[in-house]
Order: sequence, then C-alpha cells, then structure tokens
Amino acid sequence: MNRVASLKAHRLPETAFTALAAGRGDPAAIRLLQGTQQSKHIMLLHAIAEAVGDGDPADRGVAAFQAGYELLTRIQATDPGAATWLLGLPHLGGWAHDALIRLDQGASPDFAYLACAAAAAAVRAGVPFELDAPVRDGHVLLPGLGRLAVGDRATWVRLRYDGEQLAAGNGVVVSRLVLGPDYGSGQPVPHWRGTPAVRVLADGLAWDVLLVTDDPYLDRYTLPMSAGLSEHELRRWRQLVQAAWEVLVRHHRWAAEPIVTGVSVIVPLTPQSETDLISATSPASFGAVATSWPPDPVTMAETLVHEFQHVKLCGLLDMVPLAESGAEKVYAPWRQDPRPAGGLLQGIYAHLGIVRFWQSQRQAETDPDHILRAHVQFARWRAAVEDAVGTLLRTGCLTPEGVRFTSLLRDQEMTLSDEPVPGPALRIAREVALDHRLTWQIRHLATDTAAVSKLADAYRRGEQPSRQQDRPGVWVQEDVRKLGSSVRSRLLNMSYLEPARYRELCADGVLPLSGADRLLLGRDAEAAVRGYRDLITGSADPQPDAWVGLALALHRLPAAVLQDVFAAHLPVLFDLHCRLGAGHDPLDLAGWFG
Amino acid sequence: MTSQEKKIVTVVPDLRDFPLDRLGELGGTPLAHSIALYLERLKENGVPLSSFNARI
Repeated sequence: MNRVASLKAHRLPETAFTALAAGRGDPAAIRLLQGTQQSKHIMLLHAIAEAVGDGDPADRGVAAFQAGYELLTRIQATDPGAATWLLGLPHLGGWAHDALIRLDQGASPDFAYLACAAAAAAVRAGVPFELDAPVRDGHVLLPGLGRLAVGDRATWVRLRYDGEQLAAGNGVVVSRLVLGPDYGSGQPVPHWRGTPAVRVLADGLAWDVLLVTDDPYLDRYTLPMSAGLSEHELRRWRQLVQAAWEVLVRHHRWAAEPIVTGVSVIVPLTPQSETDLISATSPASFGAVATSWPPDPVTMAETLVHEFQHVKLCGLLDMVPLAESGAEKVYAPWRQDPRPAGGLLQGIYAHLGIVRFWQSQRQAETDPDHILRAHVQFARWRAAVEDAVGTLLRTGCLTPEGVRFTSLLRDQEMTLSDEPVPGPALRIAREVALDHRLTWQIRHLATDTAAVSKLADAYRRGEQPSRQQDRPGVWVQEDVRKLGSSVRSRLLNMSYLEPARYRELCADGVLPLSGADRLLLGRDAEAAVRGYRDLITGSADPQPDAWVGLALALHRLPAAVLQDVFAAHLPVLFDLHCRLGAGHDPLDLAGWFG
Repeated sequence: MTSQEKKIVTVVPDLRDFPLDRLGELGGTPLAHSIALYLERLKENGVPLSSFNARI
C-alpha cells in the first residue's frame, strides 16, 4: 500500500475527549492536540505552496518561499525533530492563517516569512543552507530563536549557514552556539538578539517559554504586543512568570503539567488603561497566550489557566467541530458584548478552568483580602458557568459531539456545586453578577416598541397591565442603548479584586459617583433606593445607570417585593418609563407592571 | 488507554510523517477535502479570537 492510499485522519481517544471536556487533559492528551496542529500547519503550508505555484518566479517573495520550502523538506529528511519544532511553532500557524486570508482577499501574502522560519529550523538542526531572506527594520527574523542585525539599508540579505556559523551579507557572522533565545543570563552577542525567554522551575517541574515581542504573526490580538521591552521590564516578566509558576505547581498541578507541554509562547500586551487586564488566545497560534501585565503572581497564574483552556479548546475544535456558526448571539456573563454559541462555549470552557483554579486557591491564601477574592471568584464563575451552560444548550447550535462535550463539562461543574462559600463572599458574587447581567441587558436587549406604547397607554389610563402573553417581546440587538462604563461597576469589582484600594478610594470620597451610588456602596440600601428613585423620577433624560443601581439596591434589601420584577424585566421597565416621560416613580411603575 | 478504546475520527489527516515534497501527490485525496473544509471555516469565521478583560 503506498503512503497516499494509507493516509489516515488523526484520531482522538474517548478518554482524552472526556478528560478535555471536564476541563482537564494530561500532557499525553495535549500532545495529541499538538500533533494535529502540526498536520494542520502542513496542510495550510501545502495550500499556500499551491498558490505560490501560480506566482511569478521573478518575485523575490515567491523565490524565498520556494527556497524555504525546499530547505524545510531537507530538514524534514535529515532531522525530523527540527521540522516538528518549526511546524509546532505558534508563529508559523499565525503566519499561515494570515497568508491564506490575504490570498482569499486577493492580496499578496508575506511568502518570504517561510524562508526565515526554515532558516531558524536549519540553524537548530545544523543543516547547511544558503538563501535570500527579507530584512525588516535592519533585522532578519528567525522565528522561535531571535533576530539577526544586518544593517538598516538592505531590504534583502543573503544568508549562508555551514552548520556552525551563520553569515548575513558580507559583514555579519554569528556562531551557531549563540543563535538561541535569551534567558537573561548571558552577555550581549554582537549582531544577535535572542527572543526573550524564561525557564522556570518549581518543585521539580520545569517550564520553558518564550516572551515574544517582535514577531508580526504573533501581534494578532486586540491589543498590540509590547514591543521594545527594556531589560528591566523583561526581568520583571521573567520574575512574574517564575512566581506564577510556583503558584501553579504548588496548588494547581493539574493545570501546570499540561501547560509545560502546551504553552510555548507568552505575548506581553500593552493595555489601553493601566487598570485593564486583558488576555487573549487565537486559534491560529496554538501554544501562544497573550496577556497584559497582571498585578500579581496569582492573577498571572489564573490568566495562564484561563488562556490555556482556550488553547486546548481551539486545538480540539480543529479536530472535532462542536458548534455551528452563524446563529443568534446570547449573553455571556464575562463579556460586555453578545456572543455566538461558539464564543460562549469558549468562555464556558475557560471559566470552568477558572472555577477549578479558585476552588484550590481559596485554601492556599492566608491574607483575609486574598481569601475574600478567592471565594468571590469561585462563587461568581461557578454560577456563571452553570447559567451559561443552560444558555448554550438552548441555542441548539451545538453539534452532537458539542452537546456531549457540554454535558460532560456540566457534569464536572456540578461536582463543585455543593462547595460552601462564606456568606459575605457569596453576596458580593451575586451582586457583581447581577450588575453585569442587568448592564448587559440595558445595552443589548431591544423591546417591542408598539407593545411598550400600549403598556404606557394602559398605565396612563390607570388600567391593569396587559396579560402575560401580551408583554413586550425582547431580543438581542447590539448597543441598542448607550451605557458607558460605570465607576460604580468598577468599584463593585474592586471591592473583592483589590479590597485595600477599594477602601482607600471610598474613604477619599473624590470619585465621580452619584449620591445614590455612594449610598449603595456605603451599604445604606434603603437610602440608595430612594436616591435612585429620585434621580430617575426627577430627570428629564433617561438614566439607564440609575435603573441598574436601583435594581442592585433593591437586591440588598431583605425580600423586597420588586426585586424579581427588576431582575427579570429591566429593559422593558426602562423603555416604558422613557415612553411615559419624567415625573413617574419607577417603583410605582414596577409595582404596576409586576 | 487500551488499543480497543473507542476513538473519534477527526477531520484532519495525519501528515506528520509525510514528505513535504510529495504533498502534491495528495491532490485528489482527503487532504484536498480537509483543506477546502478548513478554508471554508476560515472564510466563514475569520480567525476568531478569545479576548478577556478580567476587570469587567
């Protein structure tokens, strides 16, 4: 039987599928995902090669691609391990995806990147080569290894490698021995800048990871990568990764062991605001996670767990489709925007990892503020996962395997449902979750205008509200109402994420809060209800933020009658009040409606 | 994990040991189908991104 006829598909053992669905997946399962990614990258490389076959051979990019492809073929034959290393790099996946997208758009891809990538693999393998490589900002990029400085003037340079020394043009020669990542412990090497890297160790478990800040195909997240980090900043990143690694290994070994196998790159991101903590993953770049600077090692550890969940699920989705695309968008308790089923599944899976992380972290913390944070995070995301799983299953957008995966995931979540949480932490978790959900509803739930008008007319006439089935319909419509980022919401989150800073800010009294917000945060719920009611009643303009505040204040009162009406119908109440105009008491209106 | 264990057959052909310079021979085989399937997904979804703000 020839090789073509015997070509088989990757197979996923049921035990690996089940373990991944439960949020786990040992290093062996991660290697299965990695193997499939290597095949995917070969597949995409082949698709690009087919497109290049039609290209102009006089084009330097096309020629460089062909030279790179030929070199990679030689490496595969002489040192399969080096080819496997390259085909597993998240850099290569990012480049291949972008190249195919550009081809689809009729634009010219960066074909020449393959010459750089193959050169990097050849340097690792000691395979001699000679080819032209593109120069960007005075450097030739060798993905996964570093950058060779060749001078600012050239746009192309001839690379020659004899297995021992790499020469660029006529003046640059660097020994193979130094052509590797920079772990921060060596002396600077002329003409060479190794990709920053860190090798961390805790309780016998080591992890080697690159800190990539210069590869254009890993600069693919919602925030820009932090290019040009200083030595001091790199040292801080290395220290942070080491400290986070100690947290993971000592308290979350279930996550740490597969991370060693599955995460090879961290991309530091530059946040828009110093208070934001943004992390991201792209299915184009399996094995890379991106994050802005986390404030502490525990948050970094949580971020690694979170993003690694996405890495695993992205890998699995390449093997087994779990959700159909193109259906309606729904609420995700961790996002400000409505999400499609596939996006919700990603979020659920990530947060299952987060719940497990905080479940253990609660036992590891000793500082009262940190204990509070751990309990609230655990309680908030546990409830969020449970709700979101129900939402996801109701979308009807899952494939049969997707339904099975989600059901297994739910079973795992259910094992945590009886874990006790102290009352104060539970109360905060419920309040921030309610704030998030109601804010989202005000932003993204549209109401039936005609039905709201009929209700307003009935209210003016003093009639009873219409029957249940005549209540205004609601549907998801992105940004149907404007609602800015609320200082109150930020403070509610800060009350458990950074309790000390929260106390400090509240004591200062300088924050731009309404009087009602101050009363709410000051735990005077009854006065806060009055404050929000007066604000809404007395304002000629709609006050969406005050409506959310009113709902939160009502939830702080023991068994207030209107709690459920506000929680279930806030967009309708808001639109109804807008229709009636100023001067109407929102509590009277809610009482009438409910 | 036993050899008898049930396995899910995935949509990706195992190309890891296949010589790169012979991939062209696979034109009419499952590889072409898999590439077409993947490109269709890419066209439909772009490259979806998970992005999370832990402060929301």
